[in-house]
Amino acid sequence: MITQFRDWEQNRHTYAKAWKEKTGGKVMGYFCTYVPEEILYAANILPVRILGSHEPHDVTEAHIFGMFCPFCRDCLAQGLKGKYNYLDGVMISQSCLHIRQAYTSWIKHVPIDFSYYLPMPNNIQSTHAVKYLAGELAQFKVAVEKWIGKELTDEDIKHGIEIMNENRGLMQQLYSYKKNENPLISGEETMEVAISEQMVDKREHTPVLKELIDKIAGGAGSKNNGTRLMVLGSEDDDIAFIRMVESVGATVVTDDHCVGTRYFWNNVENNDDYLEAIARRYCERPACPSKDWIERSRIPHILSLAKDFDVKGAIVIQQKFCDPHELDIPAIIKALNAIDVKTLFLEFDVTVPLGQFKIRVEAFLEMLQEDDLF
Amino acid sequence: MYKVGIDVGAKNIKIVVMKDGEVIAKDQCLAGFETKENTLSLYQKILESANISESDVSKITATGSGKKAAYFAQNSITEVTAAAKGATSLYPSAHSIIDVGAEEGKSIRCDGNGKIVDFALNEKCAAGAGAFIESMGRALELPIEQFGELSMQSDKEIPMNAQCAVFAESEVVSLMHAKTEKKDIAKAVNDAVASRITSMTRKVGFEKDIVLIGGMAKNTGFVQALKKGLETDIILAKDPEYISAIGAAIYND
Repeated sequence: MITQFRDWEQNRHTYAKAWKEKTGGKVMGYFCTYVPEEILYAANILPVRILGSHEPHDVTEAHIFGMFCPFCRDCLAQGLKGKYNYLDGVMISQSCLHIRQAYTSWIKHVPIDFSYYLPMPNNIQSTHAVKYLAGELAQFKVAVEKWIGKELTDEDIKHGIEIMNENRGLMQQLYSYKKNENPLISGEETMEVAISEQMVDKREHTPVLKELIDKIAGGAGSKNNGTRLMVLGSEDDDIAFIRMVESVGATVVTDDHCVGTRYFWNNVENNDDYLEAIARRYCERPACPSKDWIERSRIPHILSLAKDFDVKGAIVIQQKFCDPHELDIPAIIKALNAIDVKTLFLEFDVTVPLGQFKIRVEAFLEMLQEDDLF
Repeated sequence: MYKVGIDVGAKNIKIVVMKDGEVIAKDQCLAGFETKENTLSLYQKILESANISESDVSKITATGSGKKAAYFAQNSITEVTAAAKGATSLYPSAHSIIDVGAEEGKSIRCDGNGKIVDFALNEKCAAGAGAFIESMGRALELPIEQFGELSMQSDKEIPMNAQCAVFAESEVVSLMHAKTEKKDIAKAVNDAVASRITSMTRKVGFEKDIVLIGGMAKNTGFVQALKKGLETDIILAKDPEYISAIGAAIYND
C-alpha cells in the first residue's frame, strides 16, 4: 500500500535527478521546514529537504563544532560527500544555530548556483512577526525571480499555495485515520509517506496520497493493534527506529516532529495578500522549540495531540546536543506525566543503538501494559 | 508444579527453580560463546541435581540481554520488569531498585505495590557496570573477589572520569605510574562507578527502601560508595545475582 512512498523515500536522489531531467526545472535543497515551499512551487522549483543518511561519516569534523547536533553534521556530510550534487540551489530559514552552521559550511565548501538565507523571525509570537516575515518573503520572491529570470505573478503564488495546501490537507486527513482504534496504517508507514512528501513533487505525491487515503477509508491497510504511542522531540526520520518500536508491540499513532505533523498541521488561509498569508501560516504552525517563546505554545499542542490520538505513552527523542529541545523536554515530560501519559526519553546520535533502545522500549511497553493490570 | 526463571546476562546465566514462591534450586555459569548450549545444559543440570522432571515444570520465563538464548522458554520479559518483580516480591517495602550487573546498570522506581513508575539504564558505556571493575582489576593485578575489601581500606578521595571506561583505564594507568597505592586506586574506581549509578538514580528519583541487586552488590567498596553517594542506607539483596531470575519465574503469577 505504501510501496510508492517507500520507493521515493529510499531512492530520493534518483527521483530528484529524474525529475530534473524530465522537467528541465531547478531543484532547491532546504534545511528547515520553515522554508516557504509555496514560493518555490510558484516558480516551478522542486524543494527537496536535506536530511542525513544515518551512516557514520568522517568529513564534518573540520567544519562543525563537536558539540553541535549529529543531525546537522549528518546533513552537511551528505553535501560534502556529493550525495546532493544535483541541487541547483540551497536555502535555509533561520531556526537553530546548529543547522545554520551546516548550511553555512555547505555553501562555503560545496559550489552551488544559488543560496539563500531567509531570516525567519525567532520571536514569532511578536505582533510584528507576520508583517516582518511577509517583507522577507517579498525579498526572497525577488531573489527567486532574478534566479529563474521570470516574474512570479499573484496567480503563480496562489498556485504554489494550492499545491502545498492540498498535500498538507491530505496528510491531515491521513493522520485522522490514526485516531481510530487499531489504525490501518502504522507509524513506520506514515513516516515513509511524510518523508517522501518532503522530497517528491507534491503534484506527483498528492494523487498517490489520495489513493492511499481512499484505500484506508475503504477498510484496507495493515493491522496495528499495539500500545498507542506518540513520538516527539528533535528531528527524527529514523525509520529503522520506528520499525523496531512497532515490532515489539507498539503502534506509533502520532508525532510532534518536523518530519511529521509539524510540517503539515496547518494550511495557508485565504487572504488577498498572498505573501502575508504564507507568512501567517509559518508563524502560526506548530512551533519548533527554537521559536517557541515567550509563551510555550508547544505544550498545549502536544497535550492535545496526546488526548486526540488517545496515546498511552510517549517516546521523547533528543538529538544529542540539541539545545532547543533540551530546554523544552523537561517541561514537556512533566506536562505529559501530569495527564498520565508516561514517557521514555532517548538520546539519538547519527547511528542509533537499536539493541540498547529495544530493551528500553520493551521495558517501557511492559510498564504501560502493567498499568492495565492495576 | 515448578516454575523456572532464566536470566541470561552479558556474562553469566542464572537459573532458579521455584515452587510455591520458594526457590528450590539455583545455579549459574558463564554465558560464554555458545550461550544457547550453555543455557540449556545449565537448565538440565539444575533439574537433574534437584531431581525434577522436565514435565513437572509448568512455566519457563526468560529475561536478560541474552534472553533469546533460552529458546526453550515459553515467555520472556525485559530485565527491567524482572528486576522489579524479583526485588519487590522479596522486599515488599522496596520503592527503588538498583541493579548493577556485568554490562548494565539500571535504576528502577516503583510505587508501593511493585508497579514500575520510571526507570533508566546506563548509556553506551560500561563505566557504570561490573565489567569496568573487572577490567580495572586486571590492570591492578587484583583478583575481583578482593577488589571491594581492599578499596574499603582506603580513606582517600581521588576523582576519576567515569564517563568512559577506556579513558578511566588510562587514568588508572596514570595513577599507577604516580605510585598511587593499589587500595586508593581501587576505591577511586568503586567511587567512580557508584557516582555513575548515583547520578542515574537521582535522575529517575528514589525513595526508601532502596534494594541493591546484581553481582555488584557483592562488592563492599562499591556498596559503601553508593550509600555515601545517595546519602541513605541501602538493603543488600540476598543472592543478589539471582533476583532477576526470580522475578522472571514469578512473573504473571
